[in-house]
Amino acid sequence: MYQSKWRIFTNHAILILGALFMIMPVWIAFSSSSYTPEYIFQNGLQFWPGAHFFDNYGAILFDPSATKGRVTALEMLFNSMVLGLGFAIGKVIISMMAAYAIVYFRFKLAVPIFWVIFSTLLLPLEVRIVPSYEVVAGLGLLNTYTGLILPLIASATGTFFFRQFYRSVPDELLEAARLDGAGPIRFFIDILVPLSVTMIAAIFIIMFVVGWNQYLWPLLMTTDDQLYTIVIGIKQVYNSLYEGGQIPQFPKAFALTIMATIPPVLVVVVFQRMFVKGLVETEK
Amino acid sequence: MATVTINQAEKTYPNGYKAIHGINLAIENGEFTVLVGPSGCGKSTLLRMIAGLEGISSGEISIDDRVVNKVAPADRDIAMVFQNYALYPHMNNYNNMAYGLRNRGYSKSEIDNKVRDAARILQLEELLERKPGQLSGGQRQRVAMGRAIVRQPKVFLFDEPLSNLDAKLRVDMRLEIKNLQQRLGITSVYVTHDQVEAMTLADRLIVMNGGVAEQIGSPIEIYEKPATQFVAGFIGSPAMNFLTGTVSDDRTHVTVGDGVKLDLDHDVEAGRTVTVGIRPEHLTLVDAQEGRINAEVRMVESLGAETLAYLDFGANADSVTLRVQGTHQFAKNEKLSLSVAADKIHLFDAQSGKRI
Repeated sequence: MYQSKWRIFTNHAILILGALFMIMPVWIAFSSSSYTPEYIFQNGLQFWPGAHFFDNYGAILFDPSATKGRVTALEMLFNSMVLGLGFAIGKVIISMMAAYAIVYFRFKLAVPIFWVIFSTLLLPLEVRIVPSYEVVAGLGLLNTYTGLILPLIASATGTFFFRQFYRSVPDELLEAARLDGAGPIRFFIDILVPLSVTMIAAIFIIMFVVGWNQYLWPLLMTTDDQLYTIVIGIKQVYNSLYEGGQIPQFPKAFALTIMATIPPVLVVVVFQRMFVKGLVETEK
Repeated sequence: MATVTINQAEKTYPNGYKAIHGINLAIENGEFTVLVGPSGCGKSTLLRMIAGLEGISSGEISIDDRVVNKVAPADRDIAMVFQNYALYPHMNNYNNMAYGLRNRGYSKSEIDNKVRDAARILQLEELLERKPGQLSGGQRQRVAMGRAIVRQPKVFLFDEPLSNLDAKLRVDMRLEIKNLQQRLGITSVYVTHDQVEAMTLADRLIVMNGGVAEQIGSPIEIYEKPATQFVAGFIGSPAMNFLTGTVSDDRTHVTVGDGVKLDLDHDVEAGRTVTVGIRPEHLTLVDAQEGRINAEVRMVESLGAETLAYLDFGANADSVTLRVQGTHQFAKNEKLSLSVAADKIHLFDAQSGKRI
């Protein structure tokens, strides 16, 4: 399509403005995280980075007192990583297997079951959060990684995506595999899983970010500081801002925020190509 | 090497649609059998029933005298080549061919021998490390055939294997398949809607229509003595001309169009209404006179080796196709006279379409 210079200019101007709009708050948080609390308290948010970058980040990463708890940011990052990975891997495995059953096995209730799974998209976690808490508490899984991850890994979105993908795999592939003597499990492992690699990557990325950003569920589930995820940690630090008596630790809160955003951003940036490929094309 | 016997096989789908209406067939050892018919005639269904990919509603299918109705596809000792090749896109060609052997528990060295043998026969040795996506259509088709022959099955099944290829490649692959089948001597069943493929490949041809085998015979038998009007119209290109006619009282000729009398040499009762079938190549150009089709040229197709003319004749504008060897200049609206030898006329019952 032919584009005039003027048009190229306006297109870019709009995109650049949009990008600035999204990035600016993050940038200000980043800059402000490199000052002393006293400086921020007196002068407000800062646009240019200051001189206390290493002090602040070092403190929250390794000194539990800096985050107002008994746990360092490093440990919280680890907890978040466990939650994000467990959440994403669990969802990918469960939804792949669910979709496999729905698409390839002709049992009577396949269609109704699919729609039941699909309709749970309408029900966010918050709707079932109290009963889910009851179940986890009853099983004695409060303050464990299992309790944190397991109730979340059923995924309507993932099942739906994998179902659509499997339906686009030609039937002849299954038939050829049957003639080649592959049973249902062999076909799944030897043919279907390798074909789904890009799809798996796409779902994994989405789910990792969603898992990483979980807030309400970990907040309810974890009363022990040792299991705090970084998202919960941010909230703890901000909480203490209002508890008076001390100078508010704005820079450390900002530092924690920045660190909480880095891993999901890295995952998306690194896997971006696979991600897009998985969502828009299929390797057949 | 095996025989395939199909005894009153029927296929009814759960929604009540009957795809196959009782087919009987005995395929001999090493025979190349072609199932041909228009789309929806049940030829692929029948092939898939032999493969075990479709269940058999009633009747029996046996391979080497063993009834296989309840035998899993993998245990029937057959191999199939699919229209879209159905190669595993993530495996290289070597593994595509080896996959079935691995699942059957062959040792590594056995697999290697078999795959390399097959690759040599099909001239795929250079391509074994590549993935199917990096090959041309013809090469993929060869890999698919390789996957079939490594197992040395009793029966080969081909489901329109050439229809995704371009015209030239199709001719080459057709010869290659015929060649391969004769060399290996493996009983084969081949499904196609292309009558040229059917005629050239088949030892025995089965023309199917509406879930029924209309005629079973050698290609030439079917060409020369089509059992029904459907078979006559389906086999032969361009298609046979059909005209409605009435047999004269003295049974020496049949009247078609608005009074054209064609000589007859058939044992048929007087006054009967029949469908007259004449192949385009059996019409001959003659001088105008009584008992000839005096027609007008409507359209001409010159193919070099032959020329096809589409003609209208008579008050009802009945149309026939004429096929003459070599190039021939016909002008539009040119008047031509045609005759046909009595022994080249096919007669079919006007109602049932059965050969008289």
